[in-house]
Amino acid sequence: MNSGRRNFLNFSLGAGLLTLATLLAACGNNTAPTNTPGSTGGNNNTGGARPRYQIGIIAKSSSNPVFLAARQGAMDAGRALGAEMNCDVEVIWKTPNSEDAQAQAQYVEQLSSQGVDGIAISCTDANVVTPAINDAVENGVTVVTFDSDASESRRMAYYGVDDHAAGAKVMELLAAQLNGEGVVAVLAGNQAAPNLQARVAGVQEEAAKHDAISIIDVYYHGETASEAAAKMQQVQTANPQITGWALVGGWPLYTNNALDGIHEHAKVVSMDPLELPLNYMIAGQVQALVGQPYYDWGYESVRLILNKVHNDIAPASPRVTVAPDVVDTPAAAEALKGRWSQWLSGASEATGG
Amino acid sequence: MPPALATTDDLRPKATPPKPRPWWRSLLGAQESGLILVILFMMLALTLGGGTKPQRTIFPLAPGDTFTSTLVSGTSDTYTLAITRADGSTQNLQSSSRPREAGASDGTRSLSITRQVNAFLDPANLILVLKDASFIAVIAVGMTAVIILGGIDLSVGSIYALAAICGAVLLNAMQGQLVAATPTLPAHRSGWMPDASVFLAVPLGLMVCTLVGGLCGLANGSMVVGLRVHPFVITLGMMAALRGVTILIPKELMGEQSVGGFPPSYQDGFFRADIAGVQPVPIFFMLIVALVGWFILSRTVFGRRTYAIGGNETAARYAGVPVGRVKILVYTIVGALAGLSGAMYIGYFGAAETGAGGGYELQVIAATVIGGASLSGGRGTAIGAILGAILVRLIDSGMVILRIPQDYNQIVMGAAIILAVVVDQAKSGLSKGKRG
Repeated sequence: MNSGRRNFLNFSLGAGLLTLATLLAACGNNTAPTNTPGSTGGNNNTGGARPRYQIGIIAKSSSNPVFLAARQGAMDAGRALGAEMNCDVEVIWKTPNSEDAQAQAQYVEQLSSQGVDGIAISCTDANVVTPAINDAVENGVTVVTFDSDASESRRMAYYGVDDHAAGAKVMELLAAQLNGEGVVAVLAGNQAAPNLQARVAGVQEEAAKHDAISIIDVYYHGETASEAAAKMQQVQTANPQITGWALVGGWPLYTNNALDGIHEHAKVVSMDPLELPLNYMIAGQVQALVGQPYYDWGYESVRLILNKVHNDIAPASPRVTVAPDVVDTPAAAEALKGRWSQWLSGASEATGG
Repeated sequence: MPPALATTDDLRPKATPPKPRPWWRSLLGAQESGLILVILFMMLALTLGGGTKPQRTIFPLAPGDTFTSTLVSGTSDTYTLAITRADGSTQNLQSSSRPREAGASDGTRSLSITRQVNAFLDPANLILVLKDASFIAVIAVGMTAVIILGGIDLSVGSIYALAAICGAVLLNAMQGQLVAATPTLPAHRSGWMPDASVFLAVPLGLMVCTLVGGLCGLANGSMVVGLRVHPFVITLGMMAALRGVTILIPKELMGEQSVGGFPPSYQDGFFRADIAGVQPVPIFFMLIVALVGWFILSRTVFGRRTYAIGGNETAARYAGVPVGRVKILVYTIVGALAGLSGAMYIGYFGAAETGAGGGYELQVIAATVIGGASLSGGRGTAIGAILGAILVRLIDSGMVILRIPQDYNQIVMGAAIILAVVVDQAKSGLSKGKRG
């Protein structure tokens, strides 16, 4: 090969990539907090001794709408709490496209190496991320977990609901709908997920309080909308005596017609009041939805971190748990649907969580 | 005295020894030269454009230690700091941000002070990029051999997870659970070899993971050759089947979806060993695999046969190359390397989860193709695969350093892959034009 032409090509390639990298550098803002979709800037005034903090947010999956609400909450918290505490806050969203504990651990290391002040993480697998969290804490980073904890790690605090209590709430609402008697089926997703198992245990314990309610079985399935909907249809067809469904996750309700042939015969109470499940409730096919503080996962995690790094105040308990949210009227469902539109479009909340 | 007659040797034109090529021309002429330049330019751009970051130093505080900090007048963020120890001694320091106590739930106190360093050119960051690349790169070397053959292996992510789970189950059984002290027995671990030495735990872990991976690869290769089905179909099926086995093993044995609790010698004593403040052991594995891969592919008969099959399988067969045997061996090697990477993964992260390696096949193929391997077979190098993996991680790291919103990450990554392949094809076109 003509070495002159090859060298020219090599240099052209390098120059092209350099241009790309320079453009990226120009797109990115490495000198001050920004207001781009991936980061939230507070006041850019860097004069005086106004402190500046960087907080990384690592959720389980960037394609899951519940974490998009958490992201919006974190962004809003960066702005609102930055103004309130007179500091600049940059929120860096770093989340795998799909659930990947190894990628989460690598992101913790990356963010820690970049010198962030705090990290909020929803752990896909506590075992895998714990060493990275401990290293980050050792490196001076304040770590908070939300939604899914790494209780053996040296994280400062956990923020979220108690899964066992959430499961019990699902069954309590269903029992009320059934007037204390009936045959209940439990839809439970992945058998190996500890948070789902805790919810199932909560459902079972609550059901045991009602003598006239029996649980026919706990049904596991692949955690996709179509598999969950198919499982419900299959079980209801085989067991027409079922009068109530306790869903510890909202999987089947992410389709449009999962409850055809079911809602006519059974009451349904589910976790996860997301946009599509709320439609079922507005249509009267689902009687109540039990939710987690999706937006506050982000908002409150940022607050916990800022309180520590800016005000040097740690929470009184390392487990900050909140009661599950309940949506049990169509009007409440309509109101929550409006908030979801806001969260998913990236618009901030006027009330700030 | 008459002059001596000239001999025939004297009449031949003198052959001048070839002039040695300067080092920089050799470098530019290498197959991976384009990639090396790209990486160097990206590093330069990240060094110049990445700005600075705060580097923390942690000072442990004992009970009774106090500190005071004062903003240096005329500056916005430089502080002088005085730590007064419980014994009355004082330590004076300077920090580029407000010094503060770091938080930990176990009640330990420490003080964090910072100084500004280059965000990219920090040794800890460079090691992190190479370490993150190593898990992909080790498999990419094997995938390069498969792609040189004209094949593909979509099951590497599942092999990685299965090997990791098997290794984790073994190491967990070695270590066992902590059993509380009883009146007759002190506190102890229930495993069959608790707190095993590094010389036992590491070879065992590596052996089990590599063996499991190798057996999966052997099954892939045997089916590709024996059933004469396209490797895409065989490895696609194996990808699903092996993932199922991966989920089943810990669920049936332990009722868990993730397995941790290994002998400390396997993790902190080896794969996470601290050397000069960084944890580079996975990088050593990557370098060893790169060297061995380079040697096998470029300096052995087996390597040449691999290229020959990828270049023209029929011609290779007529030339007496044992095509089936070479293919089976290559698939076995990529499986074993996926297993080795799984062993590195559990060693570094301290646990294995059933979802590990999801989507790895695409990352590995991307690294291989960026590294110059041709999907039509016959071309690729082990060094190129390593460089491809490093480039992928460099882009990912660059997104954080340049503070580019993560939403653009996939776009940049996709553009980089297409750009690398297009330029590589253009180079090949020029090369063919010259030969023609």
